[in-house]
Amino acid sequence: MEKLTKEQIEKGLAVIKDFKDSKLLTHLNSCVRCGLCADSCIYYRAMPEARFIPAKKVDLVASIYRRYNTFSGKNFPGLVGAKDLNNETVKEMIDLLFGACTMCGRCTVHCSIGVDISYLVRCGRAMLSNMGMVPKTLQSTIDAAINTGNNMSILDEDFVDTLKWLEEDLQMEVNDDTATIPLNEEGKNVLYTLNPREPKFFPLSISAMAKVFYAAAESWTLSTKMYDVTNYAYYSGNLEEAGIIAQRLHDEMENLKATQCVLAECGHGSRAFRWEGPNYIQKKYPFKVLTSIELMADYIRTGRIKLDKAKNPDKVTLHDPCNLVRSGGIFSEQRFILQHAVMDFVEMTPHGNDNLCCGGGGGQLAMSEYNERRMNIARLKANQIRATGAKVVVTPCHNCVDQLTQINVTFKLNVQIKTVAEIVAEAIIL
Amino acid sequence: MEWYQWLAFASLIICVGSLLFHFFRLIRLGNPKDFSTPLGSPKSAMGYAYTGSMSPTKKESAFLHLPTYTAGIFYHLGTFLSIFLFFMLLFNFKTEGWITWAFSFCLMISGISGFGILIKRIVKPQMRSLSNNDDYFSNLLVTIFHFLTISAILNSAMQPVYFVSASLLLLYIPVGKLKHTLYFFAARYQLGFFYGWRGVWPPK
Repeated sequence: MEKLTKEQIEKGLAVIKDFKDSKLLTHLNSCVRCGLCADSCIYYRAMPEARFIPAKKVDLVASIYRRYNTFSGKNFPGLVGAKDLNNETVKEMIDLLFGACTMCGRCTVHCSIGVDISYLVRCGRAMLSNMGMVPKTLQSTIDAAINTGNNMSILDEDFVDTLKWLEEDLQMEVNDDTATIPLNEEGKNVLYTLNPREPKFFPLSISAMAKVFYAAAESWTLSTKMYDVTNYAYYSGNLEEAGIIAQRLHDEMENLKATQCVLAECGHGSRAFRWEGPNYIQKKYPFKVLTSIELMADYIRTGRIKLDKAKNPDKVTLHDPCNLVRSGGIFSEQRFILQHAVMDFVEMTPHGNDNLCCGGGGGQLAMSEYNERRMNIARLKANQIRATGAKVVVTPCHNCVDQLTQINVTFKLNVQIKTVAEIVAEAIIL
Repeated sequence: MEWYQWLAFASLIICVGSLLFHFFRLIRLGNPKDFSTPLGSPKSAMGYAYTGSMSPTKKESAFLHLPTYTAGIFYHLGTFLSIFLFFMLLFNFKTEGWITWAFSFCLMISGISGFGILIKRIVKPQMRSLSNNDDYFSNLLVTIFHFLTISAILNSAMQPVYFVSASLLLLYIPVGKLKHTLYFFAARYQLGFFYGWRGVWPPK
């Protein structure tokens, strides 16, 4: 690593200097380093080393804050554990804040004080981002989204081609030549978004949702201009880039005059657009935003779709995506759906707000340099799945699907990994 | 009041003044302005943040570490009792008879608890790795405060030592991690606001 310039250091420190509100100041001053958060962290549980204790990650950021912003840190750094922002601390920050945290927030829920640890990790990442120190693998995903409109750089013509043959498939499946996958249509009730991995690698999940929309007689459309639900700049902590991505989807909603923006099954994407997005662009959305999980639950509740759970006879378990559940409040809907769509549903232990992260969050799947660590922590999720005895693992997050698919192969679980839409589509009575 | 009581009184004023500075800075900065549409109730979640979510049945930091958690509870209760007795001693109110012995017994338990937590931090390599001088110093100051409170209520001759020690503690509270006296409440408030806004807390 090249020696940090004065300008880089100043840019990094700006994140923990200019407080817009009391939240960051509060959490920077709250940790008492009791270490009781250790067992709530999947990294520490899988690899019990002191550096993986969440409080250690907090202290990486808080110790720098103390050094430059407090009387005691400026004058007695040795007494209060205040540290300089230099090459050594930056190296440690990159390794632990990017490479050893999925920002799953489990430690936050269980912190004895109530320190929002994942928020402080994100602030640490923002410092590194300001300094130009985001791992290249993660940054390239963000660059692709900003430069091409989607994080996998899928060309428009390829996207449209894929949707055309999916439409033909849909017509055959529902035995209706008028069934469509509408593109760029104005004035619809729903603008549906996708995770780019769907058109690229897993188009059947698009078919599944199209079948659900068909069965519900929904007025919906996809956009070719902006369909990407993901926002990897949320992971890098770069607010400016995150704002550009959120603004694009906001603008496309207005452009197509859709009533509701329905977010595909993507934990961080849902969080980044629904919860963080309005704050990135500093305004309230003039339209409704909801997840496809909430929408499908509503279809079932109101009788717009009918399901036959006998079509999903295998034992099914559910993986709760951290950003959707612990940080997004979507807990009951997916359970309501599964109760109506499968014969045999079993919960993991723990689940819901206490669920263990699959290990793929926080941008880990994009940062290949940490693959070994990522699969080390995945053992915990593999054990959880195995203990349920389920044949099918359902998760409302494409990022989690990717990680669970790797877990399935690596740990020889011999299960099927599915999205909620796939399960619902399977059970639909037309 | 004796000179050592005046010293403690002055330290108390400085301590409270400093904490008030921190408090009003938080108030001035205000809550985060959230432009998203709430899914739940921050108000009820804030109530939960200070109550149900702190339950030992809910927090892994409690139920996976019951000895440490229990010691921590005793330690904090002892600290509250010590603060109460500090005011008693500062303004020359006396405790007598069995009450004095009951207080002494409680403070002995809490002091031993605090000392145990300090030993754990020193002995366990992972805790050592996590700790800085502030962690040891803060714990030591508070633990000594518990024990000196016992000696001061049992023997008034110990009051000069007690008040000097208490003064040092009061002056140190706003400097190091002991300012979680204030920030603990702020952190739980923020957490309640965050999870309440998003409909995560109270749990469904």
